[in-house]
Amino acid sequence: MESQAIAAIAIFLVIYALIISEKIHRTIIAMVGGIIMVAVGIVDQEAALHHIDFNTLGLLIGMMIIVSVTAETGLFKYIAVWAAKKAKGSPVNILIVLMLITAIGSAFLDNVTTILLMVPVTFSITRQLKVSPLPYIMTQIIASNVGGTATLIGDPPNIMIGSAVSELTFMAFINNLAPIAAIVLIVYIPLFILIFRKQLKTTPELRSSIMRMDERELITDRKLMYKSLTALGLTIIGFFLHQALHLESATVALAGAFLLLVLTGEHTMEEAFRKVEWTTIFFFVGLFVLVAGLVETDVIAKLAAQAIEWTGGNVTAASMLILWMSAIASAFLDNIPFVATMIPMIQEMGNMGIDNLEPLWWSLALGACLGGNGTLIGASANLIAAGMAGKEGHPISFVKFMKVAFPLMLLSIVLSSAYIYLRYLI
Amino acid sequence: MSHQALLAIAIFLFAYGFIISEKIHRTILAMIGGLLMVACGIVDQETAIHHIDFNTLGLLIGMMIIVSITADTGLFRYVAIKAAKRAQGSPVRIMISLAVITAIASAFLDNVTTVLLIVPVTFSITRQLGVSPFPFLISQIVASNVGGTATLIGDPPNIMIGSAVKELTFMAFITNLAPIVVIVMASYIPLFVFMFRKQLQTSEERKRSIMELNVNGLITDSRLLVKCLSVLAVTIIGFFLHQAFHFESATVALAGAFILLLISGEHQMEHAISKVEWTTIFFFIGLFVLVSGLVETGVIADLAARAIDLTGGDPVAASMLIMWMSAIASAFVDNIPFVATMIPMIQEMGSMGVANLEPLWWSLALGACLGGNGTLIGASANLITAGLAAKEGHPIRFLQYLKYGLPLMLVSVALSSIYVYLRYLA
Amino acid sequence: MLTYAFNPDIIYITESNNDGDVEFFIRFVVEAPHLEKFKEVQHYFEDNEVYTDALFYAYENHEYRVIVRSDYYVEFVLQLMKHRLVEQVQWKE
Repeated sequence: MESQAIAAIAIFLVIYALIISEKIHRTIIAMVGGIIMVAVGIVDQEAALHHIDFNTLGLLIGMMIIVSVTAETGLFKYIAVWAAKKAKGSPVNILIVLMLITAIGSAFLDNVTTILLMVPVTFSITRQLKVSPLPYIMTQIIASNVGGTATLIGDPPNIMIGSAVSELTFMAFINNLAPIAAIVLIVYIPLFILIFRKQLKTTPELRSSIMRMDERELITDRKLMYKSLTALGLTIIGFFLHQALHLESATVALAGAFLLLVLTGEHTMEEAFRKVEWTTIFFFVGLFVLVAGLVETDVIAKLAAQAIEWTGGNVTAASMLILWMSAIASAFLDNIPFVATMIPMIQEMGNMGIDNLEPLWWSLALGACLGGNGTLIGASANLIAAGMAGKEGHPISFVKFMKVAFPLMLLSIVLSSAYIYLRYLI
Repeated sequence: MSHQALLAIAIFLFAYGFIISEKIHRTILAMIGGLLMVACGIVDQETAIHHIDFNTLGLLIGMMIIVSITADTGLFRYVAIKAAKRAQGSPVRIMISLAVITAIASAFLDNVTTVLLIVPVTFSITRQLGVSPFPFLISQIVASNVGGTATLIGDPPNIMIGSAVKELTFMAFITNLAPIVVIVMASYIPLFVFMFRKQLQTSEERKRSIMELNVNGLITDSRLLVKCLSVLAVTIIGFFLHQAFHFESATVALAGAFILLLISGEHQMEHAISKVEWTTIFFFIGLFVLVSGLVETGVIADLAARAIDLTGGDPVAASMLIMWMSAIASAFVDNIPFVATMIPMIQEMGSMGVANLEPLWWSLALGACLGGNGTLIGASANLITAGLAAKEGHPIRFLQYLKYGLPLMLVSVALSSIYVYLRYLA
Repeated sequence: MLTYAFNPDIIYITESNNDGDVEFFIRFVVEAPHLEKFKEVQHYFEDNEVYTDALFYAYENHEYRVIVRSDYYVEFVLQLMKHRLVEQVQWKE
């Protein structure tokens, strides 16, 4: 192997190890790694820029702007309280509706955002019912990862896959992933009730206090809400039609975001820009450049050849390998760098003769997204929710989460394996 | 002219008109204009991204991160007070030394940042001297625009030109622009003294109170300061050597920024990244896409051909036209969109047979940067300073500024014309 | 402990114990401008870093229940004072 390739691998592994060790913030590490790739001449700045997937970044930024403006309106609280009333104040029913709202929310918004919106209102409802918030928060974590799997914009792995493979449109994601996401959620509901039923008891008086709440009071800015809903609605319609209109997804998301900013005026703009998670954006930039080093030095191509050799070029074997490897890896590591590395590898496998790549893409998406449910550190939404719960005096320990979530994650991967096999491989 | 070209011009003029009217924030308008170019199919997202000059953006982001961390250390306050003591508390000498400090700082930092750092210290010094802050503020505004002209990283027009034209390195900017900048500054100093001498009287007692100031304790975090200064020095050395190393300037700036974040710890990162002026960054993105519509439809090439016709292909006429047109335009409108439009036009003129483009580039840089001094709305630094002054009860009126700014601007452009003619065209 | 007094012509406040937390029941006799002021108090507690410091529940006719964590009791009363929803606060032994 030539020295450039060895240098690229060395940089990549050191950076990856540092990201896993979590001693220094992952964004700084990834950016420094990317810059080293450029500085030692493995890729030049032009080539590095070419490898940065600006469609992913634009889509993330656009959606973050729309969501941060919408969150200001109190809409999400309104929906949660409205649903709790519809559930007649019963703790079990509330658990299920809040979980379903989280899943649907995550399908169209970032998982972390959904969790940030749902957890405060969960505290408020569970305090009133005098039940433990933990079953609610744990089911919401799991639902956010499952719901995020359903669409192109639901979870970063899907955004990256959709950006890299232009044949996989917004509709294609929904057609192929939403059915299995729905199946997984439906299977989870009775299991959740079984696991948590003992913690979900309350009194009729407390239930009636939920029923008397006035959810309309929760909308803080009605005019802003109509504007946000208009922009959000148009954006989602835009996603459905993006292929027919020949627009890429970042154009749609950014158009929605700036349309909303035109309607709301410039004072919301500064605030909205401030709320974009720039550290995440730069984490992506650094990773794309790191992976660019591996791509340009043909390391990825060699790995792809290796993978083809192991699986004998058999699509079924390759799909299952990717699905399970992604799931296990994502349960313990950040799924974003993993997917960033896998995408060019699967593309290379396409160049090397596997002509039906579709099952491989869906395997990657399902493994990487659902695998995040395995442990408390498997996805950012898990960590954020655990952090919020811990701060309010309800810590979720690594083991406590894993005892519930790891078996559920394995179950979802088994279901996904069956789904992929039955739908694409026989 | 094709249908597409007419549509591109219409979108461009529409966006430009709204930007000048300042009814809606310029960032929102530029982004909407850019997105319209993509949505109408004039450019596709891929081409649009290709036209975005990420080197400019990376350079701006990197420098903003470094400066925002450095500003927290109290360095600027220390330097300014030290200089005031050196000047023996004499108002005239303090004004001159603060103007010179502003010019030097602007050469390496963003102009807006420089005035944001120097203006608060100015208020504290003039309050103690019992003199009007007005002469100080005017001279600092003017100095920041002049100083920013001297280097590739001093002012957005230079950053854009340096990014677009690979041959113009950091050293090339210094060797070609710094001499004329020094000449302009040197000729301004007696003019400042002459214009403001009557407003700069104070008593011996007040001078003494300046001399008694203690500069120790102004540095709030000396360990961080050492780190910042080391990184800033390494970054600036990196700029000097960037061509020898085959790095582009954005790589250098971002490397400096993330090395600083690496050694100063992650708690700085969120703060530093949120201090990046994302509205400015997105203004650039929108503009680049807007201009890409004109480039892709051949409008810019048409304009270039017309400019060649107008000047008969004579480099002297073309240089003077560009310089004076840029100066007048920049005095009244934002110079960033103007320069974004001029760059591809000058490149087209190159491909149409004007062999020696160098004088044209320097004319554009000098006209666009120095022209900003003409009116109070000519550059962002002017507006920011006026805003700060008004908030402290010393409003600077448009006409009041014009009396000083416009003659000074005309002097500098006349000097620049002579310089460009003698050095490149005679 | 901290005691407070309110003007019963404009607002009515009662307190009760809720599992160690303090539960306020607040009813407005005169809405404007006090209701808006009360929403500022709500905004203050919802916008800070802690989610369960004071939980606000709105009912019909602008009646509110607020469950205040005992370590935020003083903060809550002082916010009511700041917005002139109570008229007097005083430390008593």
